[in-house]
Amino acid sequence: MDTLGYLIDGFGVALAPYNLMFALIGAFLGTLIGALPGLGPANGVAILIPLAFTLGLPPETALIMLTSVYAGAMYGGRISSILLNIPGDEPAMMTCLDGYPMAQKGKAAEALAISAIASFMGSLIATIGLILLAPLLAKFALTFGAAEYFALFVLAFATLGGITGKNPVKTILAAAIGLMIATVGIDSTGTQRYTFGILKLYEGVDFIIAIVGLFAISELLFFIEARAGGGKGPMKVNKLTLSFKEIREIMPSSIRGGILGFIAGVLPGAGASLGSFIGYTLEKKIIGKKGYFGEGDPRGVAGPEAGNNGASSGALVPMLTLGVPGSGTTAVLLALLISMNITPGPLMFTQHADIVWGVIAALLIGNFLLLLLNIPLVGIFVKLLSVPPKFLLPIVTMVAFVGIYSISNSAFDLYFMVAFGVLGYFLRKLEIPIVPIILGLLLGPEMEKNLRHALTLSDGDWSVLWSSGLSIGLWVVAFIGLVLPVIVGPILRRRMKAAKELTD
Amino acid sequence: MTQLNDRIFGVLMLVLAVAYGWGATQFPVPFGGSETVGPETFPKVLAVVLALSSLYLIFKQDPDNAWPKGRIVLELVIAVLVLIAYTLLLQPLGFIPSTLLAVGTLCWRMGATPVRAYVTGAIAGVVVYLLFTYALNLALPLGVLSVLEGS
Repeated sequence: MDTLGYLIDGFGVALAPYNLMFALIGAFLGTLIGALPGLGPANGVAILIPLAFTLGLPPETALIMLTSVYAGAMYGGRISSILLNIPGDEPAMMTCLDGYPMAQKGKAAEALAISAIASFMGSLIATIGLILLAPLLAKFALTFGAAEYFALFVLAFATLGGITGKNPVKTILAAAIGLMIATVGIDSTGTQRYTFGILKLYEGVDFIIAIVGLFAISELLFFIEARAGGGKGPMKVNKLTLSFKEIREIMPSSIRGGILGFIAGVLPGAGASLGSFIGYTLEKKIIGKKGYFGEGDPRGVAGPEAGNNGASSGALVPMLTLGVPGSGTTAVLLALLISMNITPGPLMFTQHADIVWGVIAALLIGNFLLLLLNIPLVGIFVKLLSVPPKFLLPIVTMVAFVGIYSISNSAFDLYFMVAFGVLGYFLRKLEIPIVPIILGLLLGPEMEKNLRHALTLSDGDWSVLWSSGLSIGLWVVAFIGLVLPVIVGPILRRRMKAAKELTD
Repeated sequence: MTQLNDRIFGVLMLVLAVAYGWGATQFPVPFGGSETVGPETFPKVLAVVLALSSLYLIFKQDPDNAWPKGRIVLELVIAVLVLIAYTLLLQPLGFIPSTLLAVGTLCWRMGATPVRAYVTGAIAGVVVYLLFTYALNLALPLGVLSVLEGS
């Protein structure tokens, strides 16, 4: 049992007081980020990356903090779903269905506590799944050659839009833009590409600046346009009365949701939205008429919440083992790894075993921390949530500025960030997805390196890219990933919407 | 509902693809002579991919999202200008005064009353400055307030 030994070492890393402190800070910040309107998890993690840098944190500490943020954000998303019927992000939509009716019946505190417990179960199951599956996948990935990696990267882009994605051509277009930005700078042969003689561009475009600009600054502009500065209505939470029996009752739903969510998270292109959606529909099917779904059934809160959290932990499997993230937030975590000079992928499990297992252990510990934080402290989060965006977003923007500025002390980077923000605003208006651009920026250098390797070995013969069974398989999955959403996407989206409208 | 957005964007991207692809043909031959795969191979592939997908957009568009009008455009321009001014002033004016102005103006434009907006800006500036300087040991520019430092 190598895995167990590594895991124990991992706990050694994660339980060091210094790391534990940052895990706690991360969990707290993450819950806040998840709860705040318009500050999705990807956005929040992106803003915190520069800070992790300027603090000079060692890689494992930075990663532990940001994985805690990631886990926390998934917890936080449910607060506004339950109290206000406004999902913080797409996966939280299903939690509204039974969470909000529960709150209306004066059981807001119970709904919040149940969702916290279900989230915990979902993450726990998925983390165990991660521990079992990741080393196997990493070992398998060692057999990949350059051509297989190239195909894998294509697959990552093809499935990024997810099964609920809209226009696959726009995903491809966005990916191409991102990859093109990644080619700016001096390449591996020393050739200058697209630098226009500007010294600052020789090193290429810093993806952290691009990420913060595209996410945070464009978000500010969207809020201004929507004139949503006023915030939402007041929120109240009753006193918690939750019996052990009630907790036991939601356990089966949580476990089922967690397992399904994990599978949805690992599979390319499925993601947390699908995780919570199938988590909810399955519960409805299994319990059937005995339940009162849509009217505040606790199991209707537990199922999707466990699914959502299971999926987000599951999404770490492809990111850690293959270096191919399946979602926006894991893409941002990948950005952190790359900027810490750690190349994710199968080799990371051998070269940086302490970091990988430290992070996995931190995920487990983070979940316990979150459960402990969330039940007694939910009142504080709710209070902080009532700070209207008109005060909050300018401050968040300022923190983003300070973060970028403190990395390089250069005004040039800040102008660049603002420019990316404006670009992000226009792209989002045109419904060009942002995440493929970021993934392109991140994966561009690796993708090109593998393409060059493969073509050099074959002496310029392009058919090498689809010459092995494995690479053909990857291309086929990539193709399916592009075509399937066009067929299945509208149906799935309509169903999610219909389910939501039914309860409104 | 018009569908002009995607078409215009498609044309722009097509121009970009052609320019980018042409740029790739202009790279100097790397040291050691030309090889089968060079710095230009990957960009050329990207140019083709971008060109094809923008052609698709030109001929088959999604319905447009509404663009903001009138005052909201002005507000957006103001916000971007504030961010640029913030960058411009950060070093000469110092972190605290420029944050007061930038965060204050943004809060105000987003609907807060001026007094509360600028008080928020001032508090945010001072708190973050103290946090960075004393807790995190990172220097932020003090600017005009550096006269206080000597006293």
